[in-house]
Amino acid sequence: MVSPTIDTGGAPIPLLDPVTDVEDELRSQLLVSTVDKVFGWARRSSLWPAMFGLACCAIEMIATANSRYDLSRFGAEIFRASPRQADLMIVAGTVTWKMAPPVRRIYLQMPEPKWVISMGSCSNIGGPFAHGYSTLPGVNNVVPVDVYVPGCPPRPESLLAGLMLLQQVIEDEHANNHRKRRPEPTGDFSRMLPEGDPIRAELESLFPPYLTADGQPRDRFTGALPHDENFLSSR
Amino acid sequence: MVFGKGIAKGLMTVVKHVRKPVVTVQFPEEERDIPPRARTNLVWFVERCTGCSTCAQSCPDGCILVDTEPREDGSFLVNRYEIDFRLCMYCGLCTEACPYEAIQVGGSYTNVVTNPNRLYKDKDDLIELANEYLEQHNWVYPNGQQAVKQTVHPEERRQHH
Repeated sequence: MVSPTIDTGGAPIPLLDPVTDVEDELRSQLLVSTVDKVFGWARRSSLWPAMFGLACCAIEMIATANSRYDLSRFGAEIFRASPRQADLMIVAGTVTWKMAPPVRRIYLQMPEPKWVISMGSCSNIGGPFAHGYSTLPGVNNVVPVDVYVPGCPPRPESLLAGLMLLQQVIEDEHANNHRKRRPEPTGDFSRMLPEGDPIRAELESLFPPYLTADGQPRDRFTGALPHDENFLSSR
Repeated sequence: MVFGKGIAKGLMTVVKHVRKPVVTVQFPEEERDIPPRARTNLVWFVERCTGCSTCAQSCPDGCILVDTEPREDGSFLVNRYEIDFRLCMYCGLCTEACPYEAIQVGGSYTNVVTNPNRLYKDKDDLIELANEYLEQHNWVYPNGQQAVKQTVHPEERRQHH
């Protein structure tokens, strides 16, 4: 895989990932670790969820946001309608195959420190529809999931417990000065969908190397084609 | 026309709501009482189970696995009893089907995980969960019956079965 580079006209400068490409010696320095802890505190204290209610779990998610359980106490202040303003995606409900590409697309549209909570049995593994033809067997086939909340639907307390576990995960990964890489989905749907399925083609276009159906590269963040001005990276 | 009428009306609404009690439940510190028939997590009690597999037959998701072998006296030895809580939809049909109330609702509902495979509970996990439940609830089953206090250590019990 070709690492991304900055084009300055002359020789290309490799673009380093500030999380993974830092040397171990530098990573253990005091300044970096302290700043990272503050980052972790800030990130875990202001998790803004994207509105993503798909089924009956959404009702419990709304109940969690209301006054009785009050999600704002944990810094998850308000449900954002735009994925650009959200850090957290709560996948609440049954993910059908028709809804799977939008789930992946909205995940890609969120800015980078982003986390996913899978809420309820349906999004964990498919739930009662696990053997059905129309339902995705687990949302972790499409997006990397941090925390799984069991229940059908989970009580609001369960979702709050999931949020607290996620805050713990974020704090740990910053305290230990590295991000735990979640298992990324492979993007291989050959065992679930037939060849030539339009939804399979759309899903595979949303996984690396982000090729369109014509084989053209697509931008990772904007979904733009190469001739478009929104085409930013070739990854 | 009187100026300030709307502001006074709005302020009265605020004053009314200031006097009302706070509705927010401070969840990690205090928990709401669960209704007695609420469908929370399942608890399985090995000492009540006869291995008849009625729960597995009644489960619409097929998330319960029971594997038994007959003993000398005609009863069943439960070799494996596993519940897949990833798949379970907490409908409580197994608790209604069980003739001995060996599987009951009333367990903890804050079992969130980062690895989904940890939601698959085998027999030892379920015994530990049931013991945790009984210790927290003064050795009373969820249906109100008194349990016999078990002094067997979980490790010994694991070898025993």
